[in-house]
Amino acid sequence: MDHLTRLENKSIYIIREAYYQFKNIAMLWSVGKDSTTLLCLCRKAFFGHIPFPIIHIDTSYKFPEMYQFRDERAKEWNLNLLIAMNEEKLKGGMGPGQGSKLDCCNELKTNALKSVIKKYHLKAILLGIRRDEHGIRAKERYFSPRDSQFKWDYENQPAELWDQYQSMVEEEEHFRIHPILHFTEFDIWNYVKREELPIVPLYFSKNGKRFRSIGCVPCCSPIDSNAQTIDEIVEEIRISKTSERSGRAQDKENIYTMQKLRALGYM
Amino acid sequence: MKKALIIGIDGVPYSLLRTYIENDTMPNLKKILSQGYSLHQMNASIPDISSVSWTSFNTGVNPGEHGIYGFTDLKPNSYSLCFPNSKDIKAPTFWEILGKTDHKTSTLFQKYDPKLSHPLRSSILNVPHTYPASSMNGILVSGFVAIDLKKAVFPESAYNYLRSINYLIDVEAEKAREDKMTFMKSIFECFEIRKKAISHFFAEESWDLFFACITETDRLHHFFFDASNDKENPYDEPFLRFYVELDKFIKYLYEQFLKRESEKGFFMILSDHGFAPVKKEVYINRFLEEKGFLVLKNEGNFYERVENKTKAFNLDPCRIYIHGKDSYPRGTVRKEEKAALLEEIKKALRTLKGENGDEVIDKIFEKEEIYHGPHTHLAPDLVCLPKDGYDLKGTLEKKEIFGQNIFTGMHTWHDAFCILPEYIAFSKKPSIENLTDYIIQYYTQ
Repeated sequence: MDHLTRLENKSIYIIREAYYQFKNIAMLWSVGKDSTTLLCLCRKAFFGHIPFPIIHIDTSYKFPEMYQFRDERAKEWNLNLLIAMNEEKLKGGMGPGQGSKLDCCNELKTNALKSVIKKYHLKAILLGIRRDEHGIRAKERYFSPRDSQFKWDYENQPAELWDQYQSMVEEEEHFRIHPILHFTEFDIWNYVKREELPIVPLYFSKNGKRFRSIGCVPCCSPIDSNAQTIDEIVEEIRISKTSERSGRAQDKENIYTMQKLRALGYM
Repeated sequence: MKKALIIGIDGVPYSLLRTYIENDTMPNLKKILSQGYSLHQMNASIPDISSVSWTSFNTGVNPGEHGIYGFTDLKPNSYSLCFPNSKDIKAPTFWEILGKTDHKTSTLFQKYDPKLSHPLRSSILNVPHTYPASSMNGILVSGFVAIDLKKAVFPESAYNYLRSINYLIDVEAEKAREDKMTFMKSIFECFEIRKKAISHFFAEESWDLFFACITETDRLHHFFFDASNDKENPYDEPFLRFYVELDKFIKYLYEQFLKRESEKGFFMILSDHGFAPVKKEVYINRFLEEKGFLVLKNEGNFYERVENKTKAFNLDPCRIYIHGKDSYPRGTVRKEEKAALLEEIKKALRTLKGENGDEVIDKIFEKEEIYHGPHTHLAPDLVCLPKDGYDLKGTLEKKEIFGQNIFTGMHTWHDAFCILPEYIAFSKKPSIENLTDYIIQYYTQ
């Protein structure tokens, strides 16, 4: 079995196991390359008809290309698409220009997700995170319990040895399931290439710049790149020395710095 | 062997310290002063912000030479906000000069490097604006704004110790909004852990120079300065108690220092700025907007909102930058217009009056008046210092010029202090960057 097929098999096993254990589950789709890969794996796992809803957390600040891609794919693949928005906060003008980016993310993403989990009594959600994305994710499990406060007690997680997953849930908890945790950024692009998966055009170079990761318009910046095809992206990632998250880690540090400065009135 | 002990106490005003020495709140400090030391009033850096003031002390040069003008800056030729850190300091610190570890140069470096025969070892603890920690000759634990403890500490053995005692970089000032009493307690808890770490490194490390900062005082003052001379204030007792504890800790360190060396070493204490009660916060950007100098659009983060019609904008606390054609993507002000525009802004600022018609702005400087050195071009075009009571702020989010916040204390420029050996005398009031010379000089005598 080749490398990508091994990764794919493991993901499909986890997706099916999750559905079998919880039934009342959903998948989070950000429309980015990772969760679109996960979406395609879910389609494979259930032979084209995904038996659970697909949630898109809409902050209203996403790129127009992302909305277009989302709606076209949802129609083409006959998805049960649920769009979650924190309408109350959006009406109040919440956005990255108002308050800190951290507050904005917290309200428009985390709290929107919280209410959708509550509304549909979801027991588990599938997410497209990868272990190589960020340092803290090295501690992630495939089946990761969260309490009602959304807290992740990463020092008290079930062991996952020899692919035996602790997939039973306690009351008031929900599970986060990470079927593509073992993919790297490089694997994702190779898989996208092999499976000819559709991808938001923002990832391809335009005027010497492309997005390496996408999200809300105000918080994303493109990298210098001439990669206009999947092949060129794969080659770029292969030789790249800066990590996908290098910018993001700095972002995170900046967010904390901003918070500290704000707390003392310096911003 | 020559040894120096420097204690930094963030945000302690000369006037308050003098009162506490005179009324015996700090009897130990009083006793130390009688053993050959004098207390001086001192000017902080301009602006009087910890990152700038401590960097001026650490390098012994003015911002025109060290390149740090505030906690925030804009990236060159852009509107994106960035946070200068220790990597952005353009001049070597005194421990880098003494340790002979840095390749940067400065006037102070050139003066003393040839006279220093061998590298000296320092322990530098909790000094603001030293994050991330660079490798150096000794140990360094960064202070505010340090985010990740691992990156805040050099070398790793020191990190392992700090982890083992659950060291705290800072109090969580965010919590002050929720519950002030709990926050007050956390200031004491943080001070305890700070004392523990300082005492540990003092006793266990080998060093020629030991420099530790107490930063809890600054937090105490930001949120509780109204308790400093008000017996009715609910926080009067813990406020005073903090100074009593501080006095005991100074005594402890001083006595340990005397025990360590038979020869009398070099000892000094200093603060990086003073504090005064806040009457009002003053939002300079709102003022510039009302006067037509600043035009903001609604989209974008922070300074990305600056429109091309903008002539000037302010960064915290009062660093005014001209929106020059050559300096910013949407800048429109031409070089030849700049001088007249600066005069116009200065004139407008002088008209800024408080509720009772009292003046808000005390001093206005053009950059060339106060900064000199190779990095003066990075400096704000105008810097203002307020009258005590008016806290100038850089926010872009206010709809009124005057406002109130949770803070009861504000920084002052003119009322920092230093305690130095008696042989050091000044013909005029010293500034914080003047002190560094005496430290290095001590090792070359």
